[in-house]
Amino acid sequence: MSDTNVFQPKIIAYVCNWCTYLGADLAGTNRLEYPANVRIIRLPCTGRIDFNLIVKAFERGADAVLVSGCHPGDCHYTAGNYHARRRWILFRQLLETLGIDARRVHFSWISAAEGKKWQQVITEITDKTRELGPYTAYREICQEC
Amino acid sequence: MSELLDKTDLNRLVDAWLSEGRRVAGPQCVNAKDSRGQADRIQYAWLTKAEELRLDGFIRPTNSIKEFVFPRHEKLYGYQFKGKRLELTPAELPTTEQVVIGARPCDAAALKILDAVFNWDVKDEFYNRRRELTTVVTLACKEHDDFCFCTSVGSGPCDERGSDVLLIPIDGERYEVRCLTEKGKKLLAGATTASSEEATAPQGPPVRFNLDALGEFLAGGYDRPEWPEITRRCLGCGACAYTCPTCHCFDIVDEGSASGGARVRNWDACQFTMFTAHASGHNPRSDQSQRQRQRIHHKFQIYPDKFGELLCTGCGNCSRNCPVDMGVLPVLKTIAAKK
Amino acid sequence: MLDELRQTCRRLLQDGTVQAVIGYGRPSPEDPVVPVFITKPEDVDQLAWDDQCFANLVKYLLRKEVLSLGKLAVCVKGCDQRALLVLEKESQIDRSQIVVIGLACDGVGKPRLAKCASCDVHTPRQSDFVIGKANTPDAAATVAERYAELDAFLAKPPEERMAYWKKELSRCVKCYACRQVCPMCYCRQCIVDKNRPVSISTSATLKGNFAWHITRAFHLAGRCVGCDECTRACPAGIDLRLLNLSLAKAAEENFDYRSGMDPEKEPIIGAYSQQDHEEFIR
Repeated sequence: MSDTNVFQPKIIAYVCNWCTYLGADLAGTNRLEYPANVRIIRLPCTGRIDFNLIVKAFERGADAVLVSGCHPGDCHYTAGNYHARRRWILFRQLLETLGIDARRVHFSWISAAEGKKWQQVITEITDKTRELGPYTAYREICQEC
Repeated sequence: MSELLDKTDLNRLVDAWLSEGRRVAGPQCVNAKDSRGQADRIQYAWLTKAEELRLDGFIRPTNSIKEFVFPRHEKLYGYQFKGKRLELTPAELPTTEQVVIGARPCDAAALKILDAVFNWDVKDEFYNRRRELTTVVTLACKEHDDFCFCTSVGSGPCDERGSDVLLIPIDGERYEVRCLTEKGKKLLAGATTASSEEATAPQGPPVRFNLDALGEFLAGGYDRPEWPEITRRCLGCGACAYTCPTCHCFDIVDEGSASGGARVRNWDACQFTMFTAHASGHNPRSDQSQRQRQRIHHKFQIYPDKFGELLCTGCGNCSRNCPVDMGVLPVLKTIAAKK
Repeated sequence: MLDELRQTCRRLLQDGTVQAVIGYGRPSPEDPVVPVFITKPEDVDQLAWDDQCFANLVKYLLRKEVLSLGKLAVCVKGCDQRALLVLEKESQIDRSQIVVIGLACDGVGKPRLAKCASCDVHTPRQSDFVIGKANTPDAAATVAERYAELDAFLAKPPEERMAYWKKELSRCVKCYACRQVCPMCYCRQCIVDKNRPVSISTSATLKGNFAWHITRAFHLAGRCVGCDECTRACPAGIDLRLLNLSLAKAAEENFDYRSGMDPEKEPIIGAYSQQDHEEFIR
């Protein structure tokens, strides 16, 4: 196998417990294969996802980050994802100003029934990130000075 | 009889030190204006070439040289959890020689003060190693501004304390060189030319307050009612402490994850609310006036009582960097005037 | 204008309307302009007003050392007054208990600070008194004009932007002057001071500095009024204005919101709309 020389990106996925996590689980029970590059971190709701978690993922060596939750109108806590969406709109501007690679930060709505979508999104992100290569810029920031 | 050095040769020396593998730090223009938005902002920083060095056209850099012997962040040791065991890895102490070129006398004199603190009850190997590796080439001051008060605290534009070499400007291009220590002599061996010309001693700022009157006020008791009024505008940031050449408080924290990390030492400032916060929730200095009072007492009474000299060299950085024009000088002038 | 200011403050103190006036002043004639806290009517002659009156005095309405003086009057420039509106919306001040003395302003700093070029609040609004008249007309800035500096920066390639911040933020010493001068930074325990466990590193490493400035900029999203005191206070000369402009631009472009301008508008963080756009979400 020549896989050992291929760069394996680390994808961190912050997902909400009620939709995307169950969607990922559904992908599993349906035997839909998706890249093992993704590390899934389960949180109650996207509304709870602090923007700092995205930063911390990069600090710890992530090459791409996905934040995913329930579709608008379907949030288990009614409005958590609306708050999250608003926060993301603002945070993306800050990421742009800092020169942080926006192609490595992804957002999605994946419901508990969308196992297929989970497979697609993860596969896409992994392939794209593999092409982009490791995110050395943020790792350099984290070297001890 | 004196030894002289001209600016071109000095710059050549700096490049030579760099190419010999030494680290060299000195005043540089950073890509910003000063706080009044007028002149270039000058800070001490590591140089990559002599061209970056700025020796005149400003009063003094907005930071101090303490960060080259007492960094703002320093790893003490690493730790890793290996099953039930904890593995410790001591930090590697630096081995590269370093030169600080263009220090001000008020910065260099502070090193003597820091030497005493870091060798008092515990010999701080981190500080001492960096100190040993450092040669300080100080530039005497030709001019001062309203914030300078070195002459009020027993220092002056030609103060030799803490310096290995003192350069006194003769004119815009030449310096009289005084090698004050073996380290200094070694660094500048063969670089200077003998001359009969000597630099005139520069004049320092006028004395701004009476040190004895200050001492009397501070000795008169800790609970003076004047403190809240004098210190009310202080916002409790660390700009004064972090730009002060003599302030040396630090905080030790563990930084890491569940698998391990490092125990590090970071600068800390007595003006922060959390500085004296106890784990119980009690804070003996919960009011800014208490924290400011402590700062003045520490610098002008407590430290002198213990170590025999003031914990201040009159550089004025605290006032220059204070967002509300505080720092120690306005406070000292006010309380020294009180009877 | 100075006479009118001093008279107004003298009256407020004499008739007991307030116990202290927070203003700009010189404790003695040779001093630079500093924040002063006048408690006695005869001290109003310390009050000063010129283009060196930089400080955002609204911050002092949240400091217990000043609140302990009693009922307060505060002198504000137009930019500072916006902070009052934000604090009121966030229930941090009781506006009915504060006397607001607006000072008409033609800009501060020699040369004028960057914020003054696009200022449209030369005459402070929602004030109990307005002293003086501004000679400079309010800039009728378009959104593009307001964020011209930021747009020029954003035109650079991302690697250059990142390199810029790596260089600038390496000078940060974590003194928190930016936080302490900011009226909107009023948390009793800042997230960076949390240490059981540590959330944001206090270390002045590049990693810690990025984490801090990202956090602070984002915590000010839709709240920062652009008084730029943080930029002026920074002893390392870091252009924090550029970071804060980012979030201000995002707030205005996406939600038509400028903090501290309209008392009727809902703050953007803490609220949401079902119509918020999501073309970037797959």
